[in-house]
Amino acid sequence: MELKSVKDAFDRVATKQKLSYSKTHEIFHMLSQEIEKALSILQESPPSETLLDHRSILSDVKKMFTEIAPISQLEAAEKELQVALNKYPKVLEKQLNPDISKAYRNNAEFDTHIVNQIIANFFYRQGMFEIGDCFVAETGESECSTRQCFMEMYQILEAMKRRDLGPALNWAVSNSDKLKQARSDLEMKLHSLHFLEIAQGKNSKEAINYARKHIATFADSCLPEIQKLMCSLLWNRKLDKSPYSEFLSPALWNNAVKELTRQYCNLLGESSESPLSITVTAGTQALPVLLKYMNVMANKKLDWQTIEQLPVDAKLSEEYQFHSVFVCPVSKEQSSDENPPMMMSCGHVLCKQTINKMSKNGSKSSFKCPYCPTDVDISRCRQLHF
Amino acid sequence: MEIDPVTTGNADTVMTETAATITPSPAVPSCRLNQLTESLKLEHQLLRVPFEHYKKTIRANHRSFEKEVSSVVSGIGDLANSDCSKEVAVSRLTSLVSRLQGLKRKLEEGSNVENLQAQRCRARIDHLDSADVENMTEWNNTKLKRILVDYMLRMSYFETASMLSESSNIVDLVDIDIFREAKKVIDALKNREVASALIWCADNKSRLKKSKSKFEFQLRLQEFIELVRADTPGSYKQAIVYARKHLAPWGATHMNELQHVLATLAFKSTTECPKYKVLFELRQWDVLVNQFKQEFCKLYGMTMEPLLNIYLQAGLSALKTPYGFEEGCTKEDPLSQESFRKLASPLPFSKQHHSKLVCYISRELMDTENPPQVLPNGYVYSTKALKEMAEKNGGKITCPRTGFVCNDTELVKAYIS
Repeated sequence: MELKSVKDAFDRVATKQKLSYSKTHEIFHMLSQEIEKALSILQESPPSETLLDHRSILSDVKKMFTEIAPISQLEAAEKELQVALNKYPKVLEKQLNPDISKAYRNNAEFDTHIVNQIIANFFYRQGMFEIGDCFVAETGESECSTRQCFMEMYQILEAMKRRDLGPALNWAVSNSDKLKQARSDLEMKLHSLHFLEIAQGKNSKEAINYARKHIATFADSCLPEIQKLMCSLLWNRKLDKSPYSEFLSPALWNNAVKELTRQYCNLLGESSESPLSITVTAGTQALPVLLKYMNVMANKKLDWQTIEQLPVDAKLSEEYQFHSVFVCPVSKEQSSDENPPMMMSCGHVLCKQTINKMSKNGSKSSFKCPYCPTDVDISRCRQLHF
Repeated sequence: MEIDPVTTGNADTVMTETAATITPSPAVPSCRLNQLTESLKLEHQLLRVPFEHYKKTIRANHRSFEKEVSSVVSGIGDLANSDCSKEVAVSRLTSLVSRLQGLKRKLEEGSNVENLQAQRCRARIDHLDSADVENMTEWNNTKLKRILVDYMLRMSYFETASMLSESSNIVDLVDIDIFREAKKVIDALKNREVASALIWCADNKSRLKKSKSKFEFQLRLQEFIELVRADTPGSYKQAIVYARKHLAPWGATHMNELQHVLATLAFKSTTECPKYKVLFELRQWDVLVNQFKQEFCKLYGMTMEPLLNIYLQAGLSALKTPYGFEEGCTKEDPLSQESFRKLASPLPFSKQHHSKLVCYISRELMDTENPPQVLPNGYVYSTKALKEMAEKNGGKITCPRTGFVCNDTELVKAYIS
């Protein structure tokens, strides 16, 4: 897209508008000047003047007005502006996509109630409580059940911003089992931050006591980290010049905040990033692909309203790949429970149906792998679970 | 002579140095850059709407000046042709001068409004310009908020719309004032009054005509039906007079509808004839509201649907996989949420041309950098995750889904093409 041509076209509009403005101004000025001139002549002339005289002055003004032809001047000034005004939308239509609803399914009306609930939840999730409340009141939706939970989460995060780990630790300790189940090291992360805070306060003894009480229990999973932490005590007066300067980095805090948000949301049964924002961003990535497809296929009558699978790969970024999708390289079909992926003895993977086809439904006991020279023994093909 | 080669030599090293630092960086995000440019092309409405508003103001101002000036000109003409006394001439001229003065003021004010609107158009171009691969997250966040404000405005949730746009500093990027204009008409139609809708039609007459809109005709038909509904001795006569004046001009293009509606004169509002019963239903007013919304969106170059719905549909389809509906689906997938599942249920599933495998343990992509390894039980995990596990447990691998235990020597690499 050429944003520059959009800018240029708009600059043209703005210039012509200024020109038209000054022209209009000039015309008004000329007209009032003419009238004022006539007025002063009239007022200065002695009262004895005849009727004829002031009539001739008036007809002079009239003549001047006809000469100035203000209306056609105004029209002329407008005309150039008009050209620029008509051109700009055309530039926009050329450079941008004028109708992004071409790939829209009209028969899939969204339930407003659900959409509103999702939006309210989004506001609370982002910590925009005032706006969320306003939205709930204005739409008349019922109170969002997640509001209180997110409120608590933001109180914990706010405290962390003030470098107060108390509420965060409270939460992590009381959810310790669930965090372990989720294989999260959040608790350890928070304890080590707290340990570092104490150590920074130049109180090594207290730090050591803290470590004995709270950190030692993580020896199973985090031994190297614990060793590093304890070693850092040796430099506690000048940590910035030590091999452990990383412990001063604000990134540690940011990571802890991120991990806490993630775990908190997961325990609530929510994703760590707002699902609304994921979906809309995914939509932003997918729409150009879908629209391009619609343009190319405009003539081929594909019934967009009824298809059960998109005809194109929307090519989302990696972070939106939430599941393993296996596409058989031979049949190009996605694997399913009925048609699972199978690995051949050479390590190449195909779908079950493809393997059945290649072995003529098992009537041949071996066949050649389509990707390497190996002779594949059917009995040695095994199903994979991704 | 001796200095020359040295300086060129220096310049060369500088050149290669900068080249070396610059070339690798765009190589990484080139596909992201392409994605960004493509996504900016979706922003037609963002630029178009304020421009249509700007254009409308310019035209309206111009028309009113033309009218004023021609009336001043004809005022002078009349004065010159009349036999008025000198005193009358002086007073008339004086009033013309003050009228022109007033016009100048109006011109000034009009131009101020135009400039503000031009600024808004420019702010939006600049906003598009500011999008960069580096600030994508932030830009997408703003975009989501813009989309939400658009949704709220279309649903008439004005209070939240203003609150959100003010707190997020995006007032210049949303069209609250334009929707307020629409709200007046919508509210009136909901109160079963057509007057403000008719004024709106008159304001936008030429453009509605261009798009062959019959909205005004529909408004008139509704007014006619209301007269028939009134069912008082005088109302039928009134209805006929009304039809002669306001409906007859549409006869040339919309004869069938005209005949259809005029026949209501033969029926009463209590008719059971299904074709005519419909016309008397109060639901017709909601139809008018929807009709108006469509005309309004078309006029400003907006999409008919809220942007939110368009993006959600595309996003839900692109994310929709059979796995998202399974029990125990990862919570990171929006489709693990009941509400998103409901929205997605009538939409098509996504399509992938190539295998993309995500490691169950690390959630990382399994590609050539981090290839998939198969346990003897057929379960597949990424090399990195298994290596980490083996290192921690002295070479022992435990399948997290089945509890199966094996040695890291028993792993087999799978080739996915």
